[in-house]
Amino acid sequence: MKQVNSLGGQDLREMFVAAAGWLEKSSSEIDALNVFPVPDGDTGTNMLLTMRSLVEEAYRAPDHSAAAVAQAMAKGALLGARGNSGVILSQILRGLAQGLTEKETFTAVELASALQQSAATAYSGLSNPVEGTMLTVIKDVAAAVQAQVSGGGDDLVLLMEAAVDAAGESVGNTPNLLQVLREAGVVDAGGQGLYTILEGALRYLRGEVEQMRFRKPQIIVGNVHATKLPEMIAADEDPYGYCTEFLLKGEKIDTDRIKKKLEKKGESLIVVGDEAAVRIHVHTLDPGEVLTYAADRGTMHQVSIRNMDEQHQDYLEMQKEKTPAVNIGIIAVVVGEGLTEVFTSLGASVVVPGGQTMNPSTKDLLQAVERVVSDKIIMLPNNKNIMATANQVQSLTEKTIAVVPTITIPQGVAALLAFDYEVNLETNTQLMQKAASVVKSIEITRAVRATQLGGLEIKKKQPIGFLDGDLVAVADSTDDVLDQVLVRLDLGKAEVVTIYGGADIEADEVEQMGSGLREKYPQLQIEVIQGGQPHYDYIVSVE
Amino acid sequence: MAVKIITDSLSDITGDLVKKLRINVVPLYVRFGEEVYRDRIEMTTDEFYRRLVTDTVFPSTTQPTPHDFLAIYQELAKETDEILVITLSSQLSGTYQSALQAKNLLEGKCRIEIVDSQTAGMGLGLIVISTVEAARKGASLGELVDFVQRAMGRSHLIAYFDTLKYLAKGGRIGKAQGFVGSVLSFKPILTIKDGVISPVTRLRSRAAGIDYLYNSVANYPDIEALAVEHCTTPDDAEALIERLGSFFPRERIYQSTISPVVGAHAGPGALAITVLEAEKA
Repeated sequence: MKQVNSLGGQDLREMFVAAAGWLEKSSSEIDALNVFPVPDGDTGTNMLLTMRSLVEEAYRAPDHSAAAVAQAMAKGALLGARGNSGVILSQILRGLAQGLTEKETFTAVELASALQQSAATAYSGLSNPVEGTMLTVIKDVAAAVQAQVSGGGDDLVLLMEAAVDAAGESVGNTPNLLQVLREAGVVDAGGQGLYTILEGALRYLRGEVEQMRFRKPQIIVGNVHATKLPEMIAADEDPYGYCTEFLLKGEKIDTDRIKKKLEKKGESLIVVGDEAAVRIHVHTLDPGEVLTYAADRGTMHQVSIRNMDEQHQDYLEMQKEKTPAVNIGIIAVVVGEGLTEVFTSLGASVVVPGGQTMNPSTKDLLQAVERVVSDKIIMLPNNKNIMATANQVQSLTEKTIAVVPTITIPQGVAALLAFDYEVNLETNTQLMQKAASVVKSIEITRAVRATQLGGLEIKKKQPIGFLDGDLVAVADSTDDVLDQVLVRLDLGKAEVVTIYGGADIEADEVEQMGSGLREKYPQLQIEVIQGGQPHYDYIVSVE
Repeated sequence: MAVKIITDSLSDITGDLVKKLRINVVPLYVRFGEEVYRDRIEMTTDEFYRRLVTDTVFPSTTQPTPHDFLAIYQELAKETDEILVITLSSQLSGTYQSALQAKNLLEGKCRIEIVDSQTAGMGLGLIVISTVEAARKGASLGELVDFVQRAMGRSHLIAYFDTLKYLAKGGRIGKAQGFVGSVLSFKPILTIKDGVISPVTRLRSRAAGIDYLYNSVANYPDIEALAVEHCTTPDDAEALIERLGSFFPRERIYQSTISPVVGAHAGPGALAITVLEAEKA
């Protein structure tokens, strides 16, 4: 492809025209991602409306210099900014315009430097910048383009490619930075919007305007799994109040003072602009107070007050179409960080801490039942001593509870995996019970005292092995115990062996045990996971 | 004049079967970087999967343009005045949109009906095959549209994937999103429900996954047609067909390869089975 060394105002404008069109194609999908700061499902729409205003103004630029077009776009973005994401977008444009001041055209180096300015300006507009949002994305983009030009890259297409790649990666990482995204299993909506805008601009530079008509932007999939249903995300929060936003026009407006004053009036405050025009966005329980304060400082335009609790309801409706039609919740009793992660990442709605030496109470389980949104619940006790407690819960709740009698962690995992999204509670219970009964569970721990049991002579602290709950092996090392248990099994029919290392076992020890088994049984698929469970040095499943 | 039937290359109806059915198959596009290929025409299935695994560029896929459809409409309009188009799910591709746009571009009085099958692969293929038979028995265009809509409820596609990597990358994971991000590795079983990829269940091994496909056929007492398709594993597909011979006459089981356009999302190693239930009397 031809190298592009410099771009003027017209190209800059066309990049954003293409970006707006590109964003339009996925704005509704971006709406559906929206959970932060308020799950009201309007980020995509807000960013699109801001982009439209920006593009409209771009055509009113006094000349075709990059500086004039950027200035006009920044003005358009500010005037038309809607919502949190729109206002931050307008800040990014404002930074860009500042970076391109007096430039007839711009080079890769100049664009990289302008994007630094964008990132800085975006952060400065917020009283309380939060990472894992579009702020992080623009910061990462700025760093990536800087690295690109520092390495001597002067092709603007390659620069934009670096920007898009960095944005994509950054968006994918947002759930790792922001808990509410992680729980909802989504990436940040504003970040996704920004990625789409940059991608649209890049496609224009590559000359792909024609192809764009028949394609759709990609929504980035974060490597996370939802642990909460959409209904639960807002459950513990206070009412959201009103999303209040308007443009304040006047003379010598002091943005810092307004920011300071309004900080106490609500959440998600953004005050951006210059002496003549300021855009104000705040989530407040009392919009009247905010408007009264602003009325003394200038004239108000485009005043918008929206009830966010209502918006949140609309958002929930929207989510219903998106999430799988699962109306069955799953509660598992598990202890250990790694094991908890295994269960939640496989779709358990709630994990109640508990196991061999700590049995949860009926009340603990009942609370978990109440936390799950579904009316139908499958419970995986994963321990013999918890079975009775689990069976009691039904008499204490109106919800329908089915207990799948899993008495080991491997049985619980097998049952959870076998959950079938297409069938009802009754059939699922049967399927899961069947799956649990097929798996072989090995648990290795240490004897708490010397004893004689089942014909085995056991010394205190000696490693001992259980097969499906029965004591069957004792030896001087855990490896030997595992060997003794394994020979009792018909491994010819087995396919997968999973080893969960306990809390007291180092990661490389678990790995070693895994490699040992791989060598011994090359036909088996051996998987090693740091389970972090107390009491059992190793839990092993054979399937 | 008989109704002419058009489908797209994601029906996985290929080669001699296309000729035998006397239908037109409009290809989608596969793209590696800047190279664009028409599905199964400019790049063979084998070649595609070889590149999918070895190439550093991740392939993307594109619907046919309205002009691709228009050209076929114009050709067929010379010999018929009624055309039925059955496309893959409009929620997985813009092919349905292209077919609609082309309809608006066609001049003349040829009637065109376009149906979104809400499925893909042989899920779509078996609907098309069944519809061709209905058309041969002399059903009118209106009757055929009704027929397709009923057939959609009878067509059940169940797929086994070796990995969800490609599906997640390609952004079409749909309701199976919940399957991504697991700490424990597993083999997913998926279906297409209401036009969207949806989760069914998870198994620990490939063999267990293929067993699941086999067993799922037993849920349907009255089968009109059965299809087995694969991406890169003809031997596994062959063995599965052999086993299915106990349910259904082996020689009547359709065998096909999964279109590269789907394969770009399914990844190597995927297998799918489609049951077309018989219409209840």
